[in-house]
Amino acid sequence: MADSGEYEGDDDGSVRELCANGACMKAAEVEAKLDEGNIQEAESSLREGLSLNFEEARALLGRLEYQRGNVEGALRVFDGIDLHAAIQRLQPSFSEKSASKKCRSRSDSHVSVSQHAASLVLEAIYLKSKSLQKLGRLTEAANECKSVLDAVERIFQQGIPDAQVDNRLQETVSRAVELLPELWKQVGCDHDAVAAYRRALLSQWNLDNECCARIQKRFAVFLLHSGVEAGPPSLGSQVEGSYVPKNNLEEAILLLLILMKKYHLGKIKWDPAVMEHLTYALSLCSQTSILAKQLEEIMPGVFLRSDRWNALALCYSAIGHNDAALNLLRKSLHKHERPNDLMALLLAAKICCEDCHLAAEGIQYARTALSNAQGKDEHLKGVGLRMLGLCLGRHAKVSSSDYERSRLQSEALKSLDGAITFENNNADLFFDLGVRYAEQRNLSTALRYAKQYIDATGGSVLKGWKLLALVLSAQQRFSEAEVVTDAALDETTKWEQGPILRLKAKLKIAQALPMDAIETYRYLLALVQAQRKSFGPLRSLSQIEDDKVNEFQVWHGLANLYSGLSHWKDVAICMGKARELKAYSAEMLHTEGKNWNFILTYEISNLNLHLLHAWKVTSLASFNELEDLYVYVMSTGVMHEECGQTHEALRAYINALLIEPSYVPCKVLVGSLFSKLGPKALPVARSLLSDALRIEPTNRKAWYYLGLVHKDDGRIADAADCFQAASMLEESDPIESFSSIA
Amino acid sequence: MSDTKAETAYKSLSSILTNTPPSSQNPASSLLYDPEISSQVSALLRHPNSGAGDDNLCRWLYDTFQSSDPQLQLVVVRFLPMIAGVYLSRVTLRKPLAGFEAVLLALYSHETTSRKGQSLTVNVPDLSHPSIYHESKAPSKNNATDLNLAVISPSLEPHGTVRSTRRARIVGVALELYYSKIPQMPVGSKIEFCEFCQAWAGQDGDMRKDGNGGDEVINQKEGISKEGRIPLPWELLQPVLRVLGHCLLGSNKKNKELYEAACCASRSLYARSLHDINPNAILATGSLVRLAKMGLDSQNDQVDHTEVPWTRVISL
Repeated sequence: MADSGEYEGDDDGSVRELCANGACMKAAEVEAKLDEGNIQEAESSLREGLSLNFEEARALLGRLEYQRGNVEGALRVFDGIDLHAAIQRLQPSFSEKSASKKCRSRSDSHVSVSQHAASLVLEAIYLKSKSLQKLGRLTEAANECKSVLDAVERIFQQGIPDAQVDNRLQETVSRAVELLPELWKQVGCDHDAVAAYRRALLSQWNLDNECCARIQKRFAVFLLHSGVEAGPPSLGSQVEGSYVPKNNLEEAILLLLILMKKYHLGKIKWDPAVMEHLTYALSLCSQTSILAKQLEEIMPGVFLRSDRWNALALCYSAIGHNDAALNLLRKSLHKHERPNDLMALLLAAKICCEDCHLAAEGIQYARTALSNAQGKDEHLKGVGLRMLGLCLGRHAKVSSSDYERSRLQSEALKSLDGAITFENNNADLFFDLGVRYAEQRNLSTALRYAKQYIDATGGSVLKGWKLLALVLSAQQRFSEAEVVTDAALDETTKWEQGPILRLKAKLKIAQALPMDAIETYRYLLALVQAQRKSFGPLRSLSQIEDDKVNEFQVWHGLANLYSGLSHWKDVAICMGKARELKAYSAEMLHTEGKNWNFILTYEISNLNLHLLHAWKVTSLASFNELEDLYVYVMSTGVMHEECGQTHEALRAYINALLIEPSYVPCKVLVGSLFSKLGPKALPVARSLLSDALRIEPTNRKAWYYLGLVHKDDGRIADAADCFQAASMLEESDPIESFSSIA
Repeated sequence: MSDTKAETAYKSLSSILTNTPPSSQNPASSLLYDPEISSQVSALLRHPNSGAGDDNLCRWLYDTFQSSDPQLQLVVVRFLPMIAGVYLSRVTLRKPLAGFEAVLLALYSHETTSRKGQSLTVNVPDLSHPSIYHESKAPSKNNATDLNLAVISPSLEPHGTVRSTRRARIVGVALELYYSKIPQMPVGSKIEFCEFCQAWAGQDGDMRKDGNGGDEVINQKEGISKEGRIPLPWELLQPVLRVLGHCLLGSNKKNKELYEAACCASRSLYARSLHDINPNAILATGSLVRLAKMGLDSQNDQVDHTEVPWTRVISL
């Protein structure tokens, strides 16, 4: 409160007075004396007029000076009192203290007597501290303020009695508790500030809820943002079995959560800043699920409900719960809520573009976002276009007709090309465009974007290297692709090299260098094993996901390679090593798929065909990853097929298809099998292969088998077209599908 | 002994700078706080050909940091925003930057050593368990709280060179070191940091500024080009946001210039998070932007609860 301003306002007729012991004096009389610099006279007139003792008169004078904004004058008045001696007098002596335990009633009366006196002295010291603060003498102010708290602790050794505490005394104490950490902060003594905050919050000061909440909030903000590591609280404050924060973030989050709880219990008013600080802290820790819980607990009416839904959607999306996020966004984008909220639209579009069954919905969101990216939000036009392009491209994969698909694909490319005119420096766009063009086998353009992506990211993203290598492999420039993988290996650390090594092995196979490929696979396997042993539990989830090499795929690739070479002896050696791993892994690993693949390798080496039986006894649930299961089941089918057991093979393939109806490689295999089963099966084969091509138009095997079907059915021209497509695609076939990196 | 180290460092820097600063009573402190020295060093770091392997200034920074004198190390940390800023923005240009990388690796390995490679974790409290600040009646199953263990900085592996996939992490860890020293950092260093945040974001955050007065600010900031835009993976963005939080909310708005730079940086990074549609980043930067706005709104009408109320009647 601005003292001087208020002071001038008293001309409105209300006369300010000094009152004590039932008598009153006009303030102006005393002030006149003070203005003449005559403190003694002012003091003695007060003592006479109001029958006060020296200290009381001084305290009153100090308050008067302070209130009219004359803080220097107030200081002069207070300097005349020996406040510390007064405190000494107020302290209970040892004998009294021990007596107080025996005789409670006596000590109570003592407390009530001393409360008034204590209030007088403590208020004087407090005002002195405030005066010093206003004069910028902050260290002195902090020391005075601290002495108020020290005095309170010495005078009231049992804590302040909450039942009959003098109001004014309590107010002074609360203010001093609140002021001290702020003073230390202003001085720049951060560790004193931390100590003062903890003292405020851990000792018994009988603070009211709002005051305590203010201190808790300020301390939380200080812990979050000051950059001063506070260190854990002292042992003295720790209670057995209670949670003790061990660093700044933990302590800040604890305090903010407590504040939220107090609000839920109706103890304090809503403070939007608390929620914002908590959002900041928890999102930095990537603990948005806890944030979501907090948001859900807030009573309706605090937030606009669409705001809350959007915030919740962000929380869920951040932890990968995109279904929940999308449902919330659908609510907030409802036409009666806020259908034009750009952030919600873009997030919804992004979630939808990852799932081909949602892509159509995503197209709508992206279009709405585009039309709303205006004015100050115009900079988001490029993002809208990018999302539109991605959703269109994804939707094309499930389109029902060729015409529809090619329309969607060209629209998708148009949107992405449009996006790049808005965001010519957005690396992610280069990548999207690269993949899109590569999938359409426009390899030279894809190559340009892949290079641009590597440039823009400084080669820092693994998938950029993979894209470049794949595009080059599709151009049949294998040795250049290998140069790229080698460069990528230089730019990555050992743990991240798995995916690149796998590519490299495949490139070796493509160049008919199987022994080099085997060498690369060996290295890869060694890496996988070392990785598993060295990873502690505390690596972040994303880090593990990023670096993970699918061990199953490694074994699968190696098995293929060996069986292709008919090097059964080498297979046996490899199998022996794998057997060791199996025994070892039974306790350690959960990747059942790997074990099964071991059996697969083993079976191949012995040309033993009891695989199907082995598969039957395995519960499907024991496979951690469905993908591994398809590969496994399909391999089973391949085994049977090679041994002429068509029906057995078919059964395995169909099992795989039942698990994932749109799994293209399996559709193609089943189609090819049917094509061999005689004329009656040809229509089935044709429909399966066409279906596979609908999902993946660039599958050259599907084109090839479709050509065979047409040929057997006597449609020679169609067959020729299919074979031509297959051969053209073969010339532009990457060693791994482009969609594997997108 | 550290004085002589500081003097040596001071002298060798003098030979690199164009305007030789006069010798100083307290060389370590001058190196850290002298605005003339800082601006000369900053200008050299910004020079288009800086940061190569034979860059004298980078060598000086490296040697100074390796002197293992804490005061002198602070001097090097003080220039981290500039080094990281110029370095990351220039990586895509395929220029030799071994000088910058040597300094960054030195900071990284210092942090790795002092943390013994350990990850930094936060055990997010569960209020159903009592804590030092609150009581809870719930039956306390002992130590069931580690369910919410969050890794805020994963474990560190030693790196001898900057491999590009680890670049963001190395700079991010160097920024973690910067954050741990931030109370000692001069304001100028923090302002440089905020300016680079804007450049990295590559978004004109002022476009996001709500309501009045926006146009004026946009015109002022047109100078910031989109050239410096870099990929902002979480391992880099997270420490950036911690430092930015301090710049915006940690120093009590004592310095208006810093506060405004931090506001602009927050808005830029918020806009960038929207461009990346990165939910975690949108949440964190969005809250910074809103907190900045709340700070501005409540600047004038804040009640000081430590003030003694004015009364007409003054009594005992």
